[in-house]
Amino acid sequence: MNRYDQLITDLGSDYRPQREWGEGRGLLLVIGHFLVGVAGGTWLLSSIYGITAGLVVAYLLGGLGGITHLMFLGHPEVAFKMMRNVRTSWVSRGFVGLSLFLLGGGVYLALMLASLGGPWRAIELLAQIVAMLGALTVIGYMGFCYTASKAIPYWHSPLHPALYIAYAVRGGVAALLVISAATGTTANASLLQLWIAMSVLITLFFVFETQGAWTSGNIAARWSVRDVLSGRLAISFYGGTLAMGLIVPVLLLVSSAEHPPVIMALIGIASAAGDFFMKLTTVKAGVYLPLVLPSRR
Amino acid sequence: MRLGMVIDLKRCMGCYGCQMSCKAEHGTPPGVFFSRLLKREEGRYPTVRQILLPVLCNHCSDAPCVEVCPTGASHYAEHGVVDIDPELCVGCRSCMMACPYSNRYFNVDQRNYFGDAGPTPYEEMRSARHTESTVMKCNFCKDRRAEGKDPACVANCAAKARFFGDLEDPTSIVSQLIKDRSGFVLHPESGANPNVYYLAP
Repeated sequence: MNRYDQLITDLGSDYRPQREWGEGRGLLLVIGHFLVGVAGGTWLLSSIYGITAGLVVAYLLGGLGGITHLMFLGHPEVAFKMMRNVRTSWVSRGFVGLSLFLLGGGVYLALMLASLGGPWRAIELLAQIVAMLGALTVIGYMGFCYTASKAIPYWHSPLHPALYIAYAVRGGVAALLVISAATGTTANASLLQLWIAMSVLITLFFVFETQGAWTSGNIAARWSVRDVLSGRLAISFYGGTLAMGLIVPVLLLVSSAEHPPVIMALIGIASAAGDFFMKLTTVKAGVYLPLVLPSRR
Repeated sequence: MRLGMVIDLKRCMGCYGCQMSCKAEHGTPPGVFFSRLLKREEGRYPTVRQILLPVLCNHCSDAPCVEVCPTGASHYAEHGVVDIDPELCVGCRSCMMACPYSNRYFNVDQRNYFGDAGPTPYEEMRSARHTESTVMKCNFCKDRRAEGKDPACVANCAAKARFFGDLEDPTSIVSQLIKDRSGFVLHPESGANPNVYYLAP
């Protein structure tokens, strides 16, 4: 169906699905959110664990995520104008955060890898702080972007930001597991524990959010839940999110007491793929608040 | 002054005059309706009724679209009218996700009604005013208001179901109608304080 026919069909439907974020070029936004989320989480955890390769990968993922975001925009050539409304707009805050991350992270990595020392050390420290501020903003802003979307009741949940922050941290763990395998180093054992903790947290957040939407959400939120659990997005949810993102990693985790690098990497890849499908499913499940007369007028 | 509209659902007969006059006035691309009419049927035979609900941008006083816009493209113009500055719009579409009334459209490209035959001279003239890859919506017919006219949907409503005026003036027709006939808004729970009111059918 071409875009025009699709739009006409959608306008006539009771539950009009949003298609601007998640379909066509809108898919770039989901990819962008996924990439910058993983980038933020990887930067945060790499800083904590002192993994230089993780910082580099986080920076590259952040850059790629930034490019993907720009490709999604209608007018990327004037993207700098998105700094104008930091006061109220989470999109604006995210843009500033990602800019700080890329700017500070670039300077920090360059100075750190060059090992200049001396007076440069102060600049390196400043850049590190700026990059961390940027990374934390990037981790946090995405969920709030969705929560601020009052037209889409399914997203308009206070748990959404927490869910996206948890995704970012789990994405960071996944990236570090893959990096450890690729660089032939032994992954920190606490990474797996963190992965388990974040997975439990994400599952709880998702269950609470879904239960909230189903029991106390409005009719559009319930429609979205139905789409996810038994409707047009069920394959993506059960196959991508649940099987790929949770069951496969758990099976790999319990398959042996020892976890060789290749298993760790597979857990990381499956977990990240599951997170991507979760974000895609959630975004595509959004339907607009139907326009109806208040009852009994 | 706070401009607003009142739509009398008892008078509306579902002729689509508002939708067509708006398209003619603004020359919007195919599939884009700044003003549109929703027709629905409610109930089960024999207790059924048809609902006619004309909708448009509600020009909210606390517009969520203005709040989420990262560039300030969505802004409050004079007299509380919510408008979009296409020079500032980067096409992130967050406003479309924030509008509780889903009355914003993304002008993805300059579509025309006759496909490969290309745009008609009318379409060429009308579409020139719309910037590609930006979000577009109703502005209460800014150009017509500048000439002292009512918005096209109001002027062309055959049933005289639409009224336009100053909501802050207690003597205006819109204020009187809201007061006398208990005007209501759609989705009051959104907290957007819309300025388009309805009178019960």
